[in-house]
Amino acid sequence: MTTSESAAAGIVVEGVSRAFGEVKAVRAATFTAAAGTVTGLIGPNGSGKTTLMLMLASLLKPDAGHITIAGFDPTVDTAAVRSCLGWMPDVLGSWSALTVRSTLEYTGRLYRQDRQSAARRASELIDLVGLEALADSPTRVLSRGQKQKLSLARALVHDPAVLLLDEPASGLDPAARVELRTLVRRVAGEGKTVLISSHVLAELDEMADSAVYLANGVTASKESVARAQAGVRAWRIKSSDDAGLVRALNGAGFGVDALTHERGEVMIPLGSETEASTLLATLVAGGVPISTFAPAVGDLEQTFLGLNAEDQP
Amino acid sequence: MSAFLVGVGVVVSLELRQRVRTVAWYVLIGVFVALVAIVTVLLKIALGGFGADNSGGAIFSAIIYFVLLLGTLVAPALSGNAINGDRDAGTLATTQVTLVTTWQLILGKFLAAWVTALAFLAAAIPFLIYAALDGGISGTAILVSVLVLAIELGVVAAIGVGLSGILSRPLFSVAVTYLVVAALSLGTLIAFALGGLSVQSDVRATTSYATSYSSTGQPEQCGPPQTTSYPVPRFDYFWGVLVANPYVLLADAVPTAYDAEGYPTDLFGNIKLGVRQAQLPPDLTTNYDECAGDSFQSDFETPREIIDRTTPGWFVGVVIHLVLAVGALVWAWSRTRTPAAQLARGSRVA
Repeated sequence: MTTSESAAAGIVVEGVSRAFGEVKAVRAATFTAAAGTVTGLIGPNGSGKTTLMLMLASLLKPDAGHITIAGFDPTVDTAAVRSCLGWMPDVLGSWSALTVRSTLEYTGRLYRQDRQSAARRASELIDLVGLEALADSPTRVLSRGQKQKLSLARALVHDPAVLLLDEPASGLDPAARVELRTLVRRVAGEGKTVLISSHVLAELDEMADSAVYLANGVTASKESVARAQAGVRAWRIKSSDDAGLVRALNGAGFGVDALTHERGEVMIPLGSETEASTLLATLVAGGVPISTFAPAVGDLEQTFLGLNAEDQP
Repeated sequence: MSAFLVGVGVVVSLELRQRVRTVAWYVLIGVFVALVAIVTVLLKIALGGFGADNSGGAIFSAIIYFVLLLGTLVAPALSGNAINGDRDAGTLATTQVTLVTTWQLILGKFLAAWVTALAFLAAAIPFLIYAALDGGISGTAILVSVLVLAIELGVVAAIGVGLSGILSRPLFSVAVTYLVVAALSLGTLIAFALGGLSVQSDVRATTSYATSYSSTGQPEQCGPPQTTSYPVPRFDYFWGVLVANPYVLLADAVPTAYDAEGYPTDLFGNIKLGVRQAQLPPDLTTNYDECAGDSFQSDFETPREIIDRTTPGWFVGVVIHLVLAVGALVWAWSRTRTPAAQLARGSRVA
């Protein structure tokens, strides 16, 4: 792979592993995150997401395997990687005695910006993440969500080409989540690479172009992802005529045992999208008034649950 | 190189703002100034009572020791959690992913801790000037004592920052830093005293007293020599331990001023004399023959003569301290640098 190709890829991870003593946190991680896209990093607790993030952030050395960030290897060209990498950790630390503004100014200075540009950039970022009112308050008074915004701003100080966000949405209110989504999409639109780890899968569904699944330190292969996505999936159907709906479903070959009722909706397992289209057409043709007909869980969650199910025999 | 120093400067400024510049800190400095003022006034009154005409040297040395005491007591608290405290607060890793290098980070933290300890020295300057003007202390003595004091405070700051990078728990590294300071300040004294007392030699004293005297009181005839023996402690084997003591080291380094009889005029000189006397091996065979006209008074030496003919050990102490300080920082560097290959058990990068 040439340098320009790997730069286009943003993040390339090949066969990376890392153990802490006996504990193998990451065993075999392989994936590529393309520039200009948002990639989700999904996995259950303890699957090695944060360890993988730390290796990408040039803080941990992989035991084996190879990483390139914007074309540079973090273990060799550490400074080059750092100059084009923004990292928002899952741990919310801030210099408690410093104001929001000086935190960002100092971060800029640590990135070798001069005083004027650091101050200018700090003001821009305060506007960007919406911390104007708290700009001159010490960071110890910030709430969790506000610290989250500060942490995001700090990761953006040097306008990095690759952005790693570890659980960026936790603690944010719905409005801030929408802002985060807009911001992340805009950053990706500027041709940058964004890798987000999150537990809020529904939200990643709206933000991420693609996803990397990590379980027990191993990234899921394309085949197992496809298999998990192809599995039987619950769909929810809502109708003003509940009895008519159940009758029609029974007529379409779904026994009463297959149906579950949840909050006024009927849940039904379907094997594929084609099966879903056929069923919907049948129901509509049968005159059942349908107001909702949708997968019960998002694509990412479906894959995530499918992979977990596959993982536990 | 200058880019390196700019980075160090940013870290120093960040450390001072985040860690030090708090109300509690100013209160501490205020209390310190008040204490130094009280000590100065009381010493002036006390020494005036003895009719000392140049009490400046005594006051000056007392203030320097006071700054050394408080500095070595405060510096571990300020430096002993510089690195692992940041890790606990979640601010270390976010600093390490910037373009600041591990050495810039560690040196910046060390310099900030040192500057903080030196603030005590700065706060004592008015009293030092007063003491210097009071007379009795030379310019070289002032320069050397202030310089050695500054170095010693730097050594404690470096050991504190070093241990905070080596040990993962802040409370533990602060405690260990205090233990190192205690080992140097008190441990060396205890080792010296116990060592000297546990190794003893027998002195064989042969005495022969007069049995009859002439009319003028001169001894005429002496009895047969009698030999007695008694043990004496051998501090001369253990004086080397004291070179690593910061207080002894400071006293030993400062050029001593003597009065007309050859006695030191300040605290430094008296401590130096005590330490130098410990170098002298005891006389293990003494002979006293009254008829030969011996006197009990052995060859009298003035303190000045003793100091002049014994070995100064302070530079060895300084070298030991500098090796400790640099070693601690290098070890901390190797434990803190990223990308990290190995992590201490139970610790995490971020």
